[in-house]
Amino acid sequence: MSDAAKTAPETPAATPESAPAPRQPRTLTVRVQRSGPGGSNARFDDFRLPVRPEDSVLDVLDRIRVETDPTLVYRHSCHHSSCGTCAMRINGRERLACITPMLALGADVVTLEPLRSLPVLGDLMVDMRPMFAHIDPDWGYVRPVERASTGVPHGVARYTRLENCIECGACMSACPVSNGTDDTPPPEPRRGGQDGAHPAASQAAGQPARDQEAPAAPQGSGFMGPAPLAALNRELARQPERREELLHIGKGPHGERHCRRHLACSRACPSGVYPAKDIMDIRMMHGGGKD
Amino acid sequence: MEHIAIIGGGGTAAALAHDLILRGFSVAIYERGEFFSGATGRHHGLLHSGARYAVHDPEAARECIEENMILRRLAPQAMEQNEGLFVALDDEDMAYRQRLKDACAAASIPTRDYTPEQARRLEPGLTDGVLAAMQVPDATFDAWRLALPFLATARAGGATAHNFTEVVGIDVRDGAVRGLRLRGLTEDADGSRGREWSAPADLVVNAAGAWAGKVAALAGVHVPIQPGPGVLVAIEGRVTNMVVNRMRKASEGDIIVPQRRLSVLGTSMWLTDDPDHLDIPPDHVERMVRLCSEMVPACAGAPIRSAWSAARPLIGNAGAARPQEISRTFDCYDHGARDNVSGLLSIIGGKGMTLRAMAEKTADIICRLTGRDAPCRTRETPLLPARAFYRS
Repeated sequence: MSDAAKTAPETPAATPESAPAPRQPRTLTVRVQRSGPGGSNARFDDFRLPVRPEDSVLDVLDRIRVETDPTLVYRHSCHHSSCGTCAMRINGRERLACITPMLALGADVVTLEPLRSLPVLGDLMVDMRPMFAHIDPDWGYVRPVERASTGVPHGVARYTRLENCIECGACMSACPVSNGTDDTPPPEPRRGGQDGAHPAASQAAGQPARDQEAPAAPQGSGFMGPAPLAALNRELARQPERREELLHIGKGPHGERHCRRHLACSRACPSGVYPAKDIMDIRMMHGGGKD
Repeated sequence: MEHIAIIGGGGTAAALAHDLILRGFSVAIYERGEFFSGATGRHHGLLHSGARYAVHDPEAARECIEENMILRRLAPQAMEQNEGLFVALDDEDMAYRQRLKDACAAASIPTRDYTPEQARRLEPGLTDGVLAAMQVPDATFDAWRLALPFLATARAGGATAHNFTEVVGIDVRDGAVRGLRLRGLTEDADGSRGREWSAPADLVVNAAGAWAGKVAALAGVHVPIQPGPGVLVAIEGRVTNMVVNRMRKASEGDIIVPQRRLSVLGTSMWLTDDPDHLDIPPDHVERMVRLCSEMVPACAGAPIRSAWSAARPLIGNAGAARPQEISRTFDCYDHGARDNVSGLLSIIGGKGMTLRAMAEKTADIICRLTGRDAPCRTRETPLLPARAFYRS
């Protein structure tokens, strides 16, 4: 076994349930939310079809689309958990359809719904723009590999790899603050004058212009959501010289102050990112013109 | 300004839209599903050095090394630039070694030899049965995030891109294409689906990849497309940092492409006429893991994260002895000259990473047909980052 396999940190979970995969095909019901833009006319359509042990939820959706209903709308691209397009709610939990084996869910009825916190464009497709409105396109996406190597090939200074976060939106949907199910009481005002309950009140402290101009956060919660803060924390690691500017965003009116520590983001992530930890990192950092 | 309609929303279409915008055309893309949901997104992510093709397909090899160097510069944030190794494990591999080296040299692909000890220092996960290794300028890319910058940049320049919009007809009158008949697949606010409408176009490009034959049939013409699906397997864990190739002629289970905390193993190949029904035969999955574990033993014990199929858009070639030897180069057909249907082009063949070159060749022909004198600028024009797509 290679060092990489032995020391790879927190290998992301492939199979959400640990139940052994059944060997035989089974006929089950796939219940899919259908709707128009904005979730108009939302209802469920049932599709009943045989499912093989090796079929992912995405494989089954592809079969329904090709064989039964070509108007079934869902996003997909890479089929191996790299692109981040096929996140949806599968029996009430955020997952990637491409790496969720259908039969391993152990259910006779599998219900598929679009992500929450982001506007529905139709059926299982949501509009990702509110999330990307808070992730600067110029932030990097490559990082050094964790493991120290015993050598590098000619022309390579250090082994690098792509970031863990595939920007799928699962954490945005799972976050109770973002999706509107948060019922925890507002926090006590913190020392240093940061009042999490009234984000607008701190704008007088001189936020950068781009922060104030950011489009509305997902579903009007005021919170940019976990994924942009996770990306921001990675950018802080990449560009320590831009710390003040980045912390302005992270501690700004759409930033970490909204987090209520539900940790739903970290639990939902299909890619081994822990956005709740990134958010706490940002919360604990001094700077950003607030401390 | 001539209006060009592109059928298909894969990497070729995105790169073509970008190229045509830079040359001053008006452009619209129509894609039946999500962008890059055909073969583009399902790519194993190998930024080929071209070495894999050098012996049996030198034209494709030269295309690969040239585009490899260009794409590294245009989209560095979509890549892991850690180079690749070819590894020899038996006498047959060793016999192939000199042919490979010579063919790489002929195609201007730089190589560097390593002893087994040196190779295992670079990649401790390699089997201790390595007899020889050779470095080539392979890299890994994220297929979605390599293609998306082309689409983002094209849209920022004025192109429109319509996903979930199916082309159901090509309007041909008096031997010339006039436009497209389209069907929307998403539901309208009034609850209706399948609304159809017409969109005029001065010129239509069929860039539908493995589906190009079906699209061409809408205009009553034929293209020799041969969908060639294959199975790929993603296992948990990054078993290497470099891409690892088996040092033998192109075959199954000869490539390991590390990416993030996964390793992608590939690839099998068969031929089909129907790119919509792609099986993922379990015996192919088992074979990819077994063959790749000969190079890196850790492949055998790792949990499988995903197995999937992708349909290569091969150019039909009855002369090839094996599917793996069908040329991976590309060609652009002017159906005005071939079939008396003017204003229709088909771009077929090629590979995920030759998207820019395919676009350049197609746009050159479009310029010739429209009498526009505008050189290609996509080699040097910077691309927007992938995330800019969501702001374009």
